[in-house]
Amino acid sequence: MNTVRVPATIAEGYLESLLAGQPRLPASPLAWLNKLRADAVDRVGVLTVPTLRDEEWRFTDISPLTKLSFHPASEPARLHPADIERFYIEEANTRLVFVDGVYAPQLSSVAADGVVVANLGAAATDRAIAAHLGQHATFHDNVFAALNTAFLHDAALIMVPHNMTAGAPVHLLFIATQREAASYPRCLLLAESGSAVTLIEDYVALQEAAYFTNAVTEIALADNARVDHIRVQREGAQAFHIANCAVSLARASRYHSVSVALGARISRYDLNVLQTAEGTQCTVDGLALIANNQLADTHTCIDHAQPHGVSRQQHKCIVGGSAHAVFNGKIMVRPGAQRTDSSQASHNLLLSGSAHVDTKPQLEIFADDVKCTHGATVGQLDSEEVFYLRSRGLSESAARNMLTYAFGAEIIERIPVASLRHRLAQTVLQQTTIQP
Amino acid sequence: MSAALQNLVNQPYKHGFVTDIESDVAPKGLSEQTIRLISAKKNEPEWLLEFRLNAYRSWLKMEEPKWANVKHPRIDFQAISYYAAPKQKAKLKSMDEVDPELLRTFEKLGVPMHERAALAGVAVDVIFDSVSVATTYKHKLAEVGIIFCSISEAVQHYPELVQKYLGSVVPVGDNFYTALNSAVFTDGSFCFIPKGVKCPMDLSTYFRINTQDSGQFERTLIIAEEGASVSYLEGCTAPKFDTNQLHAAVVELIALDNADIKYSTVQNWYAGDENGVGGIYNFVTKRGLAKGVNSRISWTQVETGSAITWKYPSCVLLGENSVGEFYSVALTNHHQQADTGTKMIHIGKNTRSTIVSKGISAGHSSNSYRGLVKVTPAAAGARNYSQCDSMLIGDQCSANTFPYIQVRNNSAVVEHEASTSKIGEDQLFYFAQRGIGAEAAVSMIINGFCKDVFQQLPLEFAVEATNLLSFKLEGSIG
Repeated sequence: MNTVRVPATIAEGYLESLLAGQPRLPASPLAWLNKLRADAVDRVGVLTVPTLRDEEWRFTDISPLTKLSFHPASEPARLHPADIERFYIEEANTRLVFVDGVYAPQLSSVAADGVVVANLGAAATDRAIAAHLGQHATFHDNVFAALNTAFLHDAALIMVPHNMTAGAPVHLLFIATQREAASYPRCLLLAESGSAVTLIEDYVALQEAAYFTNAVTEIALADNARVDHIRVQREGAQAFHIANCAVSLARASRYHSVSVALGARISRYDLNVLQTAEGTQCTVDGLALIANNQLADTHTCIDHAQPHGVSRQQHKCIVGGSAHAVFNGKIMVRPGAQRTDSSQASHNLLLSGSAHVDTKPQLEIFADDVKCTHGATVGQLDSEEVFYLRSRGLSESAARNMLTYAFGAEIIERIPVASLRHRLAQTVLQQTTIQP
Repeated sequence: MSAALQNLVNQPYKHGFVTDIESDVAPKGLSEQTIRLISAKKNEPEWLLEFRLNAYRSWLKMEEPKWANVKHPRIDFQAISYYAAPKQKAKLKSMDEVDPELLRTFEKLGVPMHERAALAGVAVDVIFDSVSVATTYKHKLAEVGIIFCSISEAVQHYPELVQKYLGSVVPVGDNFYTALNSAVFTDGSFCFIPKGVKCPMDLSTYFRINTQDSGQFERTLIIAEEGASVSYLEGCTAPKFDTNQLHAAVVELIALDNADIKYSTVQNWYAGDENGVGGIYNFVTKRGLAKGVNSRISWTQVETGSAITWKYPSCVLLGENSVGEFYSVALTNHHQQADTGTKMIHIGKNTRSTIVSKGISAGHSSNSYRGLVKVTPAAAGARNYSQCDSMLIGDQCSANTFPYIQVRNNSAVVEHEASTSKIGEDQLFYFAQRGIGAEAAVSMIINGFCKDVFQQLPLEFAVEATNLLSFKLEGSIG
């Protein structure tokens, strides 16, 4: 596998090279799926790779990505459960494993507790899937979602039946094993009315060279449904991770998401939450903990399209080394979405002199009877707090680590899965200890 | 309640009359020839013509900015007359020689052009369409070494100062409208406060657009030398026309060591009628350079007029310990659109900035705050506090906030907060039970909402601004 240099200026050529493996995908027996893919291929042909000149990508330079050539993952390596056991989450008795984007049934296990969890190939006949797949994360203007859809083959499907509360979290484990491979993880979660489920999306790597993960997740909540969505991005240090997630909320549904970004050289996460009916609630929390030359970009959009919606958002970045954190949080209140109650906070901690952050909390309000607030702060550790801890006998570095940890722990503690929470807390503690 | 409030916000524009005065208007259109004509009319030196032509050439290569949250039909830059001046015989020595028709116009607007007039203690430069018609208190200011005159006069008498500073804060090619302004600017105010002088009175410029189909392109340059300080006021109005006029101004402020410039604006250009027909397109670039140590630049603006406002008074904080401030009230009604805010660029060590922005939207208007706080790697110890609050009156308007925060230094502390609210039933009820009618209550609530900004205005302006807001929102309630 040799890396071919592609000049950044001919972005179209680059996209063509990414699409090169697409025709080799086996056609699906489902006509709608083939059409969806074909439409996406057409869209990729029209769209271009975003540059710093695009407002949505102003601070995130993905030209390093376009300088490398990636090929679709070849036959995945046979992994043994022992290789990946350390990624398992004890509470989750249902686990789907995808190796380089390809479903690995021998590593997966599905508990028979009523929640339908399957790979797309096995369950695609369900009519509900055609109605939702590709309908929330639209690819019309989004080249990465279009690329993902063009390669749509394996995908995690989770359907929680009417009024059922899933007993245990569903764990989706996406493992990268091949260098210079592009993988296209895909997930669709349908929570029927009155149901409740916890979903863990987990991105890990077994190798350190560059690769490209381009993920799309779609989550549709029916009336009164409840979804806890935990997303952990701990890709390899040279990885490129670009992900789109679209969430649609029906009447009185509740969506709670915690996303944690730790890995990847360049990562970008777009989360769009659309409130399609009255009385919905969403809580969107995020933590990016990055160092060295990492770049973590989070773009969220909470679209209050209907009255009586509630949203809460807290996003934190801990930035060390010469890393760069980007946050763009848009709160949209559409005409008529009265009694919306929304708050948003972006807090950023800079640990070193060359770390930097670009944040933009954004409000667009078209209704008058609403309560919307947002706030943003950027700063370093408070010297008085450090002094206080030192006066209690802690060393300078122990004091700083403890404060840094506490800053991030506020988000970690919102994860409803105990073992994962504990493990991520340990990771944050370790990461902060390594940093100067 | 909404209906009562809707009634409150519909008031006619009282500065909408046209002065019938013989004018010297250049033919419509923009070309090198127009620029040479303007330059020749103003008897300008060769370097300034060159400056204009360079600007024009770079303007030709530029495109109109599209990122602002405003919508308007394409502007035909060839349908604008770039020079309009009331006909005058010779250069004036005293106020008594000014055309009485002009005097009456400004009398009507409440602008004191007589040095003995009511609001004594404010020196005024009056700009009518493209030219400055009068400047008061010039001699009194000259006694302490202050130069306050129109920029065309400054070009004639102090060319070295103008040449040194013109375009030094806002480069010609900064954006589409600065390039256009640099090519065709006709007049504006020039103000120079020498070393150690505290300006004994407030300086003021009053802008008036009178001619239909003309644009106003003024240029203001204020220089405060070491230890100097000045408070400068700006006011503007225009007659009612059912066409849109373009106003593209450039304002440059330079503060050297320990200097202090306070710039206040009450902008009340004609805003168009209740259907959004007519009104001024106000596309303005204002920037201050806090060049010296401990210098301070403070912008205060009350934006109530214009069909479209596109304006970001900025501070470049270059000197150590320099301070930038921005206080703004933006009121939009009917179909007005405002996209306004500020930029605070922290370059020097221990620089501080404060942003307080209050947006009020009513009717079908759109009101956006767009701000940038940028801390460069060198700006150790930089400090920023921003607050932007919006108030919505009615459910057809919008309030948006686009704050960009870019921090490249970890010793910086940056805070931003924003909130959105409306005038609550319960607040009006509280007033009503104390015997205060809805109209007075709304006025009081709005004044309270804007208090932080009004406190920054010089006294006369604070009174004017308070009246202006309540006037804009007053009316009969059924």
